[in-house]
Amino acid sequence: MTLSARRLLLRAALLGLLPALSLRAADLPDLFAQRVKSCVTVEFLVENELDRQPVSVLGVCVDTNGTIVLPATAIGARVSVRQLKDFKVYLPDSATAYGAEYLGQDVLTGWHFVRAEEKIRAQLVPVTAWVVPGAPEPRLADQVWGIGLRGKDEDFRPYFLMSRVGLIEAMPQQTGIAATEVAGPGLPVFNRDGALVGLALNSFGQNYLMFSRRERGQPVVLVDVEESSVFLFNREVLPYLGRVPKNPSGRPLPWLGAFGLEPVAPDVAKFLQLENQSALVVSEVLENSPAEKAGLKGHDIIVALDGQPLPRLKPDQAVVTYLEREIDRRLPGDRLPLTVLRDGKRLELDVTLGDEPRIIREADRRYFERLGLTVREFLYGDGVARRVKVAEQRGVIVDFVKPNSPAAAGGVEFDDWVREIDGKEIKTYADAVAALSAIEADKTRADFVLLTSRDGETAVRRVKLQ
Amino acid sequence: MKIATLNESPARSITAAVALALLSAAPAVAGMSGGFNRLLEAVVRIDVREVSFEQGARRFVAGVGSGVILSKDGLVLTNAHVASPYAVEISITLPSLERVSAQLVGWDHWTDLALIRLDVDEVKRRGLTFQHADFGNSDKLYVGETVYAVGTPYGLTRTVTRGIISNDRRYFEDDEGVHGYETGTFNNWLQTDAAINPGNSGGPLVTEDGKVVGINSRGFIGADNLGFAIPANVARRVVDELLAHGAITRSYIGLVPGTLQDLEHFYGLALNIGMLVKSVDPGSPAARAGLHGGDVLLAINGQTVDGRFPEQLPPIQNAIASLPVGSTVRLSVKRGTETLDVPVVTERLESRMGEEWAFDKWGVSVRKVSRAYARENQLDSDLGVIVLGVQPGFPAAVAGLAPGDIITRVNQQPLADLATLKGLYDQYDRQPASLLVEVTRERRVSLFILKP
Repeated sequence: MTLSARRLLLRAALLGLLPALSLRAADLPDLFAQRVKSCVTVEFLVENELDRQPVSVLGVCVDTNGTIVLPATAIGARVSVRQLKDFKVYLPDSATAYGAEYLGQDVLTGWHFVRAEEKIRAQLVPVTAWVVPGAPEPRLADQVWGIGLRGKDEDFRPYFLMSRVGLIEAMPQQTGIAATEVAGPGLPVFNRDGALVGLALNSFGQNYLMFSRRERGQPVVLVDVEESSVFLFNREVLPYLGRVPKNPSGRPLPWLGAFGLEPVAPDVAKFLQLENQSALVVSEVLENSPAEKAGLKGHDIIVALDGQPLPRLKPDQAVVTYLEREIDRRLPGDRLPLTVLRDGKRLELDVTLGDEPRIIREADRRYFERLGLTVREFLYGDGVARRVKVAEQRGVIVDFVKPNSPAAAGGVEFDDWVREIDGKEIKTYADAVAALSAIEADKTRADFVLLTSRDGETAVRRVKLQ
Repeated sequence: MKIATLNESPARSITAAVALALLSAAPAVAGMSGGFNRLLEAVVRIDVREVSFEQGARRFVAGVGSGVILSKDGLVLTNAHVASPYAVEISITLPSLERVSAQLVGWDHWTDLALIRLDVDEVKRRGLTFQHADFGNSDKLYVGETVYAVGTPYGLTRTVTRGIISNDRRYFEDDEGVHGYETGTFNNWLQTDAAINPGNSGGPLVTEDGKVVGINSRGFIGADNLGFAIPANVARRVVDELLAHGAITRSYIGLVPGTLQDLEHFYGLALNIGMLVKSVDPGSPAARAGLHGGDVLLAINGQTVDGRFPEQLPPIQNAIASLPVGSTVRLSVKRGTETLDVPVVTERLESRMGEEWAFDKWGVSVRKVSRAYARENQLDSDLGVIVLGVQPGFPAAVAGLAPGDIITRVNQQPLADLATLKGLYDQYDRQPASLLVEVTRERRVSLFILKP
C-alpha cells in the first residue's frame, strides 16, 4: 500500500468516527444552558463593630419557592444571625440584584438556606428538575460536568467544567472525587447525559511545595475556592433539600455532650478485638450533659450505635462525622443507644439526647464604642474551653477589642474573661452591660478597672478613658 | 531581644581555641591588686558533657562555662545551667593549665547556681595547686562601681573584662531558663556593662580587690553590654545550703504576684504597701484557702509587703519560700473593701520539670508529669509522662506518638510513675510484644499500638 492510500484510509476511519462524537458533544451547550438556571450567586454583608465584610458565595435553587441552598462554610460559626445583612441573589450572566431572606442553618447538612424574592423565582429552575429517576450513580472513570461562575465584574458569567470520577469514598457520605475541578463549590454536578448526580462541596486542600528565593520547597496546602473536584452523591443531597430551618438559629439542636471523640486506627481496633469495625474514644464527658446523665465516662470507647458496630471508614476521622451525623439527624429527646468498652467490659448505655446549650452565634453581645470593646454572655462552651464548672460560670467574654481604643491600650484582649468590673463581681451578662453602660455614659470618668482571666491567669487591667 | 544563658557550644570553642593560641604571646596584666591577682588563680574553665533527652533518644552534648574556686578543698561555684544533674562528665581546667575532673555537689536552678567539687584525690596525687576566692558583700555595691568579669567567653580562658554595676536590683524571671527549669523567682540580679559573652557563665563578677560580688549568668543577646549576675549574698546562702543538704528546700503556696503600679489608688491602699495577686495556681494551697486573682496581699505573718514594682517581687517571693514546709502562714489580704486574714499551709516547692528518660528500642524520650506541670496545664492529675521526642522509624513514631503527647495509660493501666514505664520497657526488652498506649493530646484521648 502506498503512503497516500494509507493516509486516505486513516482519514476515512476518522470521518467514520466523527459523526458519532459530534452528535453527542453537540448537546452539551444545550444541557449547560438549561442547567445554568439552577445556579445563583448570593451576596451578603457580615456587619462587625467597625466594618462590613462583603461575602459572595454560590448557591443552588432547590424548589419553586425560591429556596436556595448555600454550602456550610458560607457563614462562619461565630457570626450571629443579627450580623447578617443585605442578602442579594444574582442570576448567571446578569448584573441585576434581587432581594433575599436568610432562613437559617440546618444542623445535619450544615447548609444555609436563603429565600429569593418573588420576582426572580420564575427565572429559576429547581435543581431537582434534572433528577432522572433510575439514572445510575457515577462510577469510577465516568464523565461528570458542572458549572462555574465568574465574579461580579464579569456579571457572574457561567462557564463549563468537566472531568472524570477518580475516586468514590464513603466519608461517611458517599463522595465522588473527580480528577480535576468539576463545578463551583455548592453547585450541581451532572453526568454526560445531563442527569443530576450530586452537589459540589468545597474543594479539598492540595499539597504543593512552594519555592521562593529564601525558602526551598516549603510544603503548603492550597484550596481552590472557585472550583471544586469533590461532590456529594444524590443520595446524600436529595433527601435533605427539604430541611429548611424553622427559625434562623437552626434550633432544635440535638446534644450528646461528649468532648473529643477520637477514632481508633485499624491496628488499635484489632488489638481491642474489634475486627472490621471502627471505634471512638471519648476524651471527656461534659458536665450536666445527656452523656453524663446516661453514665458515659471519659476514656470510654464507643464501639456500637443502635446495636450496630461503628463502620470502618477511610480516613479514620470519618467515623467521627458518622456519629455526629447520627446525632444530628435525631431530635432532642430522641434516644441514642451506645455500646462502650470500659476496662475491657462491654456496657450498654441508653442516652437521651438533650437540647444543646446556647452556642456562640446565639450569644447576646454589646459593643461599647467609647470604651472600645464588645462583651458577650458567658456560654456553656466557654466553660468547657476554660475548664470552669457550671456552678462557677459567671462574668462575660470580650468578643472584640477596637484597635488603639482605651480597652486596647489597657491591655484587654479578644476572648478575655471579664470577672469583675471596678472591683465588683459580674455575675450575669446584664450585670456587665449595666456596669459598662454606666461607665460609657459617664463622661467624667478617668478610668475603670477590669479583672480578667486569660489562659488560666488572672490580671487586673486598668483602662484609662482620658 | 532574648536573654540567653551564657554557656557555650563546642564548635565555637574550637575556633576560639585557635584565636587563643594566636593571642597567647600578649603580655600579662600588671598593676592590679594582690587580691585581684589571687582571684585570677581561682577562676576555672569548666567543660561539661551532658545528656539530653530532646530527640527521642539519649544524646550527649558538650558545653563550656566558667567557675570560681571557693575553698582549699576544691569547691567550685558555677551556674546551674553549666553544671546540672544532666552532666555526665565535668572537667575543670585550672589556671595552672592542668585538667582535673569534678563532681556535682548540688544545684539550685531557681538561683541558677551549682556547686561542684574537684576530684580531691587526683589533685593530691598530681600535686596540683590553686587559689580560692572570697565573697564580697554584694549589698554594699553601688551603681557605677567598677567591677570585672572573669571567665571563658567563647572558650577564651581567663578573659577579664571591665565595667560598672549598671543596676543592683534587676528583676528577671524565666520560666524555662535553666535546662527548661524555672529561674529568677526568688532573687534580683546585678546588671553590669562588663562584656559578658557565651562561656562567661558561672564566672565571677569581682571588685578591684578581687572579692566575688556576683556570678555572671546571662545577657541580652543582640544588645551591647547588658549582662546579669547573681548577687554574692544570694550565692553565699545557696552555697551553705547545698553543702549542708545537697539541695534547697523552699515553700510554695501558689500565689502568682503582679505589680500594683498605678493601681494603689483604685485599691484604696495606704502608701507603699501591698502586692497584687495576679493569679492563683489551680489546686494550690492559696487556691484551696480561697484566694484568687485581684486580691491584694498586704502582709505575711504580720509583716507588711510592698510590691508595687517588679524588682520588689523577688524578696516577697523569697519570704514565702523561706517559710518552713507544712507550716501555717497568715496572709492579710484586701478584697474589695474587706480585709481578710487567711491562713494558708505551705507545700514543698516543686519544679514544673520532672525526671527524664529515653527508651531506646521504642525511640521515645519522656518526662514525668509533675504536680506543677499538671496544675499549669489544668490536667486532672499528675498521671503519666510527657513525650519529649520521637525518633523517626522507631516504634513510637510509627505508632503515631508525637512530642507534647501525654502518655496516661499503657495496656489500660494508669501510668502513675516513670518506674512503671521502665518496668514495662524491661519486659518489652526481654520479650517484645505489642502495647496499647493511651495518649492525651490537647485534651483529646487517642489510642496507639506500640509494635515491636
